[in-house]
Amino acid sequence: MLRFLLRRVALAAVTLWLLSVIIFVASHALPGDVGRRILGPFADPRAVATLDHSLGVDRPLLVQYFDWVGGLLHGDLGTSLSFHTPVAELLLRGFGNSLKLAAVAFVIVVPLSIFGGVIAALRRGKLLDRVITVGGLSATAMPEFVTSIILILVLSVTLKLLPISVQVPPDTDPLTQIYHLILPSLPLVLVLFGYIARITRAGTIEALESDYTRTAVLKGLPWRTVVIRHVLRNSLMPTIAVVATQTGYLIGGLVVIETMFNYQGIGQLLFTAVSQKDFPLIQAGVITVGVIYLVATLLADISYSLLNPRIRLAGRE
Amino acid sequence: MDIEAQRRLDAVRVRRSELENSAIDEFVAGRVSRRDFIRYASVIGLSMPVLAVVLEACSTSSNPTTGGNIKKGGRLNVGHQTPAGAMDPILTNDLGRLTILGQCGEYLAFSDKDLHLRPVLATSWTPNADGSAWTFKIRQGVKYNDGTTPMTVEDVVATFNRLADPSITGNNALSNFKGVLSKGNVTKVDSQTVKFQLDAPNGNFPYLVSSDNYNAIILPASYNGGWDKTFIGTGPFKLKNYVVNDHVSLDKNPTYWDSSNQPYLDGLDFKFYESEPSAILAFQAGSLDVYTQFSVSNGQGLLSDPNTTVIDIPTSAHRQIHMRTDVAPFTDKRIRQAMALSIDRSAIIQGLWNGKAQIANDHPIFKMYPSSDTTVAQRAQDTTKAKDLLAQAGVPNGFSVTLYTEQVQEIPNLAQLLQAAVKAIGVTITLSISDSGTYYDKYWLTSQLGITDYGHRGVPNTFLSAPLVSTGTWNSAHFNNPTYDGLYKNYVKAIDLPAQKAVTGQIEKLLLDETPLIIPYNYDFLTAVKKKVAGVETTGMGHVNFRLAGITS
Repeated sequence: MLRFLLRRVALAAVTLWLLSVIIFVASHALPGDVGRRILGPFADPRAVATLDHSLGVDRPLLVQYFDWVGGLLHGDLGTSLSFHTPVAELLLRGFGNSLKLAAVAFVIVVPLSIFGGVIAALRRGKLLDRVITVGGLSATAMPEFVTSIILILVLSVTLKLLPISVQVPPDTDPLTQIYHLILPSLPLVLVLFGYIARITRAGTIEALESDYTRTAVLKGLPWRTVVIRHVLRNSLMPTIAVVATQTGYLIGGLVVIETMFNYQGIGQLLFTAVSQKDFPLIQAGVITVGVIYLVATLLADISYSLLNPRIRLAGRE
Repeated sequence: MDIEAQRRLDAVRVRRSELENSAIDEFVAGRVSRRDFIRYASVIGLSMPVLAVVLEACSTSSNPTTGGNIKKGGRLNVGHQTPAGAMDPILTNDLGRLTILGQCGEYLAFSDKDLHLRPVLATSWTPNADGSAWTFKIRQGVKYNDGTTPMTVEDVVATFNRLADPSITGNNALSNFKGVLSKGNVTKVDSQTVKFQLDAPNGNFPYLVSSDNYNAIILPASYNGGWDKTFIGTGPFKLKNYVVNDHVSLDKNPTYWDSSNQPYLDGLDFKFYESEPSAILAFQAGSLDVYTQFSVSNGQGLLSDPNTTVIDIPTSAHRQIHMRTDVAPFTDKRIRQAMALSIDRSAIIQGLWNGKAQIANDHPIFKMYPSSDTTVAQRAQDTTKAKDLLAQAGVPNGFSVTLYTEQVQEIPNLAQLLQAAVKAIGVTITLSISDSGTYYDKYWLTSQLGITDYGHRGVPNTFLSAPLVSTGTWNSAHFNNPTYDGLYKNYVKAIDLPAQKAVTGQIEKLLLDETPLIIPYNYDFLTAVKKKVAGVETTGMGHVNFRLAGITS
């Protein structure tokens, strides 16, 4: 198990290094000049050059890269070029907000879609199965900005059931905060439900058709016990992998949802950073999202291997 | 005018300067409208009592705005464009920041929606004979919103010398002060008076120290950066809390100096929006009481919403379509004229702005400016004449050209409409639309044909200089016309309105004839306010004044 972990961590480190190179090159390939972005289109070219120099963005790229990576390794993420604020402070706030939104979406979607997937598998070919699979697929296929607008217009503007303002004052009690987060998490639930339910349904059907299930049924166990003890335990493996990979998306990839609901998460922060050409913020933001993805995948691998000894033992052979 | 009125008018004339008497003459003779007279009187510093006597003598009355039944207290939720950078008065160059500056800070004067200058931290101002030096009386007894520090003449001197300092990186005020006011030329006369010695005579100088030069909020002489931590200023609101890129909450300034105009509201909560559609949805769902600026393209729903008041202010913000006068085929002015004649301005305004824009005449002295010469004929669409001009210029079958522009608001649509319009006269335009940064870096000053966005200015001086004078730094048309350069100089130093008008007529005709630029329209500033909110004042520059705003009972 230790060897397995070490190998995964080493791989993660290499991935992060590659990511750092890619994002550094990509962010510097963005069109436009940093000084020009900050000072505005009509600023004097000399003022732009002076600012570029004082920010150090006129140095050779390699020097800038090592300077940045050196800072990263010392835990210094730098200062945002456009906001004159430490990047760490901005990212921490964005990350905290994204985490809250992801948590609420998670708590709704995971049990709901697993339940939906299992029910669909048990009612395979019946009307309920069709409704869940076709409905889920349609919801997944709809872009988030469409579902967001529909949900806002129906639930918030017309029916006034849920508040549209996502951000509540920090001293508000947790229940109110969760209440405000329900509306923006619904489009995420719609996107993920179909996907997770489908994987769960497939896993459950496979488990239902397996020999051990037949044996369990034949030896006279009650159907409920068969499903809970034998079918579910085996059918949820692929679901766990899927849920884990979606964690990264839920925390780092919500640009559309966060912009739609004007929620100051890490996605919207990155969007602002890119439009402002704020290098330190773009780079540190992407690295943070990268770390989140890697940690989520690693945790998925670990839980998967705990559930399935064949994986963790594979390394010993 | 009756004898009694004439007597009072004569009485006030006695102690007035030549400049002031000339303004009164023009108005009494009916050569300037009441509106232009008030506007101009405010520029040259004619005091309110004198203004009142003149207006009364000429049988017109001033029309103070009514406040409605605003109750005391409450807070407003305000949706606002995300500030584009660090909150610092001298670096501010966007609506996101300037609107916030104006809540906590104040200017020597406030330039309102009709371009009248209203005294704020200055009580009056006067030019010398040729307009090369201006003296401002500074209001006494004003305290900053920290509740203790008094505002002094030294603060005013320090503020303007800082704004005129070219060594400060990112000093945005230089766009107004370069060639107008140099560092060190703002001096204290006495404990109530400040003198501005200008680089050259300037009849419109008071606008440059008003809210139109939004960088110029008065700060303590000891100020040394870090505005985002204090939001120091003499304004009606003070900082409660500010989270970068997210929101700013302001409380009423309990020590606000203007005892007769204390704010009604307890405070304002500005929420920043990166995306306009989400702000509009939040406004419609009731999370916002005010949305400071919206575009016609995204805000159709607000324009027709019965629960929304739309405050609609004409501004001098516009688009310039430049044609490089030094590169063929646009070296021939007939070809430039043909391009301008091919477009249907009314249809463009209806289509792109739902009518919320004003028709413009290919020069930047828009009709809203008091100095504009409204007798110059409006250019209208004339495809036949355009084709004739092309034939005369030797290109009867047209030509091909690439138009460069930026992905900003309606500009790509304007580019398409131009493309379709010139097709009718045989000209083929290929569009190259990039993000704003790329456009300004690569194409703005080099492209043969391009479209650039210009924000509002209270006076046309910048529009007439930077993009049109032969040495202008934004001269994308590469326009080089000695006659024009001379006229521009005459315009700037003309300090009374008739003298300004004498020049503007010539400038307008020259620009129409030469057509280095096509300026199809100047568009309105639209603010959405819930019906229960009253007293919000907006300006073309993008100031949203909440001092006398509140919730109606």
